[in-house]
Amino acid sequence: MNGGPALVSILRQGSYLIASIHTALDDSQLVRFQQDLINQIGRYRSRGVVIDVAALDVLDSFGSKTLRNVAEMARLRGAITVIVGIQPDVAFAMVELGMGTGSVHTALDLEEGLAYLNSHLASPAAPGVVGFQD
Amino acid sequence: MSTAGEVTDATAQPDQPDVAALIPIVRRIVFARVADRAAADDLVQETLVRVLAASERVEPGMLEPYAIVTARNVVASMWKQEDRHRRNQHRVVDLAPAQEPDENLLEREEHDAVTEALARLSERERRTLLAHEVSGEDTRSLANELGVSAGAVAAQLNRSRARLRVEYLLALEQAEPPTDRCRPVLFALSIGDRRRQREVDAARHLLECNLCARLSEPLMERGQPNDNETRIRIRSDADIVLARQGARELAARLEFSRTELTVIATAVSEIARNIVRFAGQGEILVELLENPRPGVRVVARDTGPGIEDVDQAMAQGYSTYHGLGLGLPGARRLMDEFAVVSERGRGTTVTMTKWRQGG
Repeated sequence: MNGGPALVSILRQGSYLIASIHTALDDSQLVRFQQDLINQIGRYRSRGVVIDVAALDVLDSFGSKTLRNVAEMARLRGAITVIVGIQPDVAFAMVELGMGTGSVHTALDLEEGLAYLNSHLASPAAPGVVGFQD
Repeated sequence: MSTAGEVTDATAQPDQPDVAALIPIVRRIVFARVADRAAADDLVQETLVRVLAASERVEPGMLEPYAIVTARNVVASMWKQEDRHRRNQHRVVDLAPAQEPDENLLEREEHDAVTEALARLSERERRTLLAHEVSGEDTRSLANELGVSAGAVAAQLNRSRARLRVEYLLALEQAEPPTDRCRPVLFALSIGDRRRQREVDAARHLLECNLCARLSEPLMERGQPNDNETRIRIRSDADIVLARQGARELAARLEFSRTELTVIATAVSEIARNIVRFAGQGEILVELLENPRPGVRVVARDTGPGIEDVDQAMAQGYSTYHGLGLGLPGARRLMDEFAVVSERGRGTTVTMTKWRQGG
């Protein structure tokens, strides 16, 4: 992102990536975000991804499709994705539009999202997970 | 510095007895208002010069009231000037802008453009316009001369000014319109007549003609800024975001609910993306409606290849790219009214309306 405040941030938290979208993104920015995120999953060997879209006031067909694609690509790379923070109005418009996030898991907020990842990755089958467990 | 005495001499010519007779009354008015004698003398002189210059235009018998008004104006403008000077005295800067080296050239170009534009008007138009704007002849006396009503003269002046603006811009650009539709379109924009703009299909022409698109900007800026609409040019995917934000901001003024605003913004996003994908460029016009109830109308126009089969494009699940085919049918579901007009090779126009709930 060239200058100015960051449009998105991707933070590493143990074996999770927490990606926050801070402002409305156009299509090419969304695609770049998708690529960055998929690359970082490999770099940090992440097992879980939280995408926070609370700042988005519109999720149209392209936005929804991109989120679904991110989740699917992340799955192919071995990470579980959960989308958090879809605003009530945005949810309404997405349903009216006939668009959803399909099989991608969603959660109300960051806390719920992390809890979801913990419960799905805390099994002995996922020994690489650190943190977020008592 | 001149004195009133000199003025008396200068004006006491046999052919201008009227003006000389005005001196006492002008002096009385000015001296009653201005304490400084030298300044007052200057103002008296200035007033008389103005009255003298205008004496041919002023009807006989009206010269005295004219002089009184002029004297008051001259005094008032001096006060205004002094006031401005006082207010700005603390500023170190020189308020008179320095003469730029290219100022003369610009002035000259502008002057040439006006001359050329005037030359392109018809003889009758030019004469009426100059009589009104330069010589200050009012519409009533012009109407008498031309044997028409004052309203007709005003309308003609309005048309002449609109034409002059178009010709001025063309002369300034030293451009000859590439098509014979350019002038009618520019004229319709210049005069600000919506019906005429629709008749000549101005919106489409502006998408097709680069020269007119450029010239239309100053022409449209001139008109009253219309608070009830916003127009967004769509050229790249960044414009999709601008379009939906613009639509949301405008619709927010009608107190749509947050949900309705999001729905409108989403629909605009869908059709704006269609423009970028299939037509490359176009525009989106968002207007607020008052009748029959509050609502917002979105018109999206492009000059792209057009949609071959609108019914098929509207069908759920149809898609020509790797989207989900939700562009048009999705937008239709979000809005209350929806219409697509498309012509192959000419482009597509989508018109959609959302009414405010409980409005």
